[in-house]
Amino acid sequence: MATDNMTWTKAASKTPVPTHTIARPSRTLGVQSYVPELLKGTALTMRHFFTNAKERLLGQKRDPVLDNFEGGITTIEYPEERRIYPERFRGLHRLTVRADDSPRCVACLCCSTACPAQCIHIEPAEYADGDERRGYERFPAAFVIDELRCVFCGFCVEACPCDAIRMDTGLHPVPYDSRDQFIYDKTQLLALTAPDGTRRTDNARHEPGDPTHPGLSRDHDAH
Amino acid sequence: MSDGTITIDGRPVPFDKGDTIIKAAYEAGIEIPHYCWHPGLSAPANCRMCLVEIEPPPGRDPLTLDILRWDAEKNDYVPTKKVKLLPACQQACSEGLSVKSDTSAEVDTARHAVQEFLLLNHPVDCPICDQAGECKLQDYWLEHQSSKKRMSEEPVHKPKGVVFGETIIYDAERCIMCTRCIRVSDEVAKDPVLDMRERGNRNEIVLSPGRTLDHNYSLMTEHVCPVGALTSSHFRFKARVWFLRSGDTVCQGCATGCSAHLDYDPRDNTAYRYRPRDNKAVNGYWMCDVGMLSYPEAHEARIERARVHGKDAELVDAIAQAKKLFSSHASDPSRIAIVLGARHSNEDNQALARVAKIYLGATHFYLSRRKDGHADDILMVADRNSNAAGVHEIARNLGLGDVRSLADLVRDIAALRIDFVISLGADIDGDESEAMDQLRRVKGFVAIAAHEGPLAKAAHVVLPAASWAESPGTYVNRNGIAQITEGVLKPRGDAHPAWQLVIALTRALGYEVGWKKRGDLQAGEAAQ
Repeated sequence: MATDNMTWTKAASKTPVPTHTIARPSRTLGVQSYVPELLKGTALTMRHFFTNAKERLLGQKRDPVLDNFEGGITTIEYPEERRIYPERFRGLHRLTVRADDSPRCVACLCCSTACPAQCIHIEPAEYADGDERRGYERFPAAFVIDELRCVFCGFCVEACPCDAIRMDTGLHPVPYDSRDQFIYDKTQLLALTAPDGTRRTDNARHEPGDPTHPGLSRDHDAH
Repeated sequence: MSDGTITIDGRPVPFDKGDTIIKAAYEAGIEIPHYCWHPGLSAPANCRMCLVEIEPPPGRDPLTLDILRWDAEKNDYVPTKKVKLLPACQQACSEGLSVKSDTSAEVDTARHAVQEFLLLNHPVDCPICDQAGECKLQDYWLEHQSSKKRMSEEPVHKPKGVVFGETIIYDAERCIMCTRCIRVSDEVAKDPVLDMRERGNRNEIVLSPGRTLDHNYSLMTEHVCPVGALTSSHFRFKARVWFLRSGDTVCQGCATGCSAHLDYDPRDNTAYRYRPRDNKAVNGYWMCDVGMLSYPEAHEARIERARVHGKDAELVDAIAQAKKLFSSHASDPSRIAIVLGARHSNEDNQALARVAKIYLGATHFYLSRRKDGHADDILMVADRNSNAAGVHEIARNLGLGDVRSLADLVRDIAALRIDFVISLGADIDGDESEAMDQLRRVKGFVAIAAHEGPLAKAAHVVLPAASWAESPGTYVNRNGIAQITEGVLKPRGDAHPAWQLVIALTRALGYEVGWKKRGDLQAGEAAQ
């Protein structure tokens, strides 16, 4: 309840607020019958209808996204039409894979350490003895992101030393009808791709065939 | 009393006869960067990280080396002199010696160069390395190097993930050949199972032919490893060290009571490892493997809920049931047996012993202890109980008379001399099956225990006690040295510190106990 000694409220002004009076619109027969305005509105609607119908029939429909850069307002028909997101848009996360389809992630937990929303859960595991990927040593047995908790800050991508997590899918989580559907596990994250459909990264380091590939079978005396 | 004083960067540092500069600095809390030196091991001076400048005696020239230094103006190397640096881990202290460590530009350059050299062939696989976060290579890179690698060649690759034994996995690429692990095996474990082979960048640590790293101090090799070359197979990939917090505790493995750090993750309330805590009076710098691997006792085989006749119950109901069982205890106090716990803290035993003597008037005292194991002549002793000495001391101070073994209790029950038993701890060190038969015959049996055991199985009422990791307590080792553990973990389930349960039980039996805090129990036996 505001009282006089509440200094944080603005004191009421003593001078009256300046006003000016707007004249009432004339109430002619045309105005009172609504007919001219009704026709005007119908005409506008029909003009758009015929323009759209013509453009659709002739295939001349303009690009709503490019139109957006010009003046005026363009409505787009989401989700059939979508605006192009900027190149650096941070969308849903994806996990990148090596050439042998193993996740690049080594479960170092740098991303979950950096995450301010604490939405990343990782369980590290070790490739078994005899596995051809044994040389990578570590992999995430579980990698779960709660996309509802995520604040899309991109710190996880910055923190990743292996280019294993990216937010370049161009997707945002669609509105699901229950919370658990926003919890993305390792399989889902690995299945997501970059907008061009690729799953790999440009970083060839540690790929099989690369001299840096950490295999246990490397010839010790070759150097 | 020190034998003299040296100065390090202008600070006076006392030393004992025979100390090296780095040892004197270590004792004074000054860190001279080092990899291969360890206070508990010999000094091979092979990492060259601890190079320091020693100022010449007054009126004398400093020790110098003839070197070639690049001169950008002449576009050529020119002969010049530079101060000769000495390894602080080899140079003995002498009265008045003046050492420049952090204040010398030459030392700075040398540290930078050594650090760059050690990282030359390092794989920089910190993401998959368990040492990341507590690695000296990382720390010293930040402190003394902070520059990018200049070598553009592919580093030398060496074997990774080599299994040395059940506990240790070796990564030769990360190894900086400080030989600490070799020296731990030689000097601490007295089992020279590790050695080094090849030279230069092909150097690697190898096992003796036909051996595995299986001595009882194998985890100490991992503990002293300043980098991630040796990793423990038990801790491997389990946790990141920056998530762990650490509490001072005492190893419960045997009566030596090694000082230890218990590293735990506060988020899941789980202990992940022990690390030895330097304590010259008890364990020096070391712990045995058996002790190091006993950290899971913080959550394994724990009693987390109160039990009445083998069924889980609420704590209040269990205490009410105990009251019912003990309804006729006061008629003849000599028929009450009190079992003290050799694995429980002084506070817990103090509480039970005082209650027994003062309120219950009990005269029969016994000791629940773990069976003896094997001993080595280094740290581990046969007595597997952390506080047997403490219990005997309490018994002496309170004048409880003989604290007898559980075998005596079994005999006394068989001879129909005992009707009621209150026990602290659940271990039996003698014949289990016979003991169980007899223990089931008593009228009332309350066991207060942190871990499952035969006594907890035989008891009518079991009250869940907090473990050594969950409540602070004093433990007295076999040499009479008392140490206090920090209660760092949250008690699991309904567990409470055992002394609190003793007080609750005593109140239920109709006696008003004066003490409320742990300090009341430590304050000395004379008080009550």
